Amino acid sequence: MSSAQPIIRSRQTEKEVNGILTQVVCTEFSNYIFIVLTQYGKIGTLISVTPDSRSNDISTPTFSTRVLLGKDEPLTHVCAKHLATFVSQEATNRPVLLGLALKDSSIDSIKQMKEVIKSCQVW
Amino acid sequence: MAETPNGTESDPISLHNFSEKILEQVVHFHVMKLSGGFFLWVGSSPVLSNLAVSMSSKYDAMPLSTLVIGDPSDTAPNSMAQRLAKKTKKQVFVSYSLPMTDSNLSLLVENRIKKELELHPEHF
Repeated sequence: MSSAQPIIRSRQTEKEVNGILTQVVCTEFSNYIFIVLTQYGKIGTLISVTPDSRSNDISTPTFSTRVLLGKDEPLTHVCAKHLATFVSQEATNRPVLLGLALKDSSIDSIKQMKEVIKSCQVW
Repeated sequence: MAETPNGTESDPISLHNFSEKILEQVVHFHVMKLSGGFFLWVGSSPVLSNLAVSMSSKYDAMPLSTLVIGDPSDTAPNSMAQRLAKKTKKQVFVSYSLPMTDSNLSLLVENRIKKELELHPEHF
């Protein structure tokens, strides 16, 4: 007695980024965008990227990153902001929950991964 | 259930949705199968209100569990993650986003998940 339509929307893709197979799954919730970006097939480090409510003035909006699960390294915050800020902005400032398990966090790879996330737009 | 060492190549992530009418309300399930674990969301509306993670430990009979998002006074996500981790021996992420009014409901929801685990183990 199962109904067919799922109520949450998700899209996935995979692509080689600098020779490493990279998988992306984006899932839309009404209060979160959940993105898994992985080169290990695992969720890995879980990070929340949240827009700061104070930045309502004309200046550029700011975002807070928080490592919810996994190793809390400065580079993780940089990657998370780089990858997820645009998603939050496009998704009417919804926070992004990001699962990150990368073998390669070079800036060149991160830029390519951002494009892969774009190709999985659910927001 | 082979263990997947960290760093090995893995199968593609797979997604699986199903739903069921339980106690007069439609409950939706969303499963993301990962390498060595899975993410399960349960809800009646598309909200992610909590997230618990659980995995087995060799030092304890009961898997360890922690809540990474949500209200710690709601024990439903943790206990469900824990029981599913014990059953599947995997790392389990659970978001249980149903109103926590009826404990009967969570029991039926859990039974529905167990049924799906038996019918379609390939999705978990």
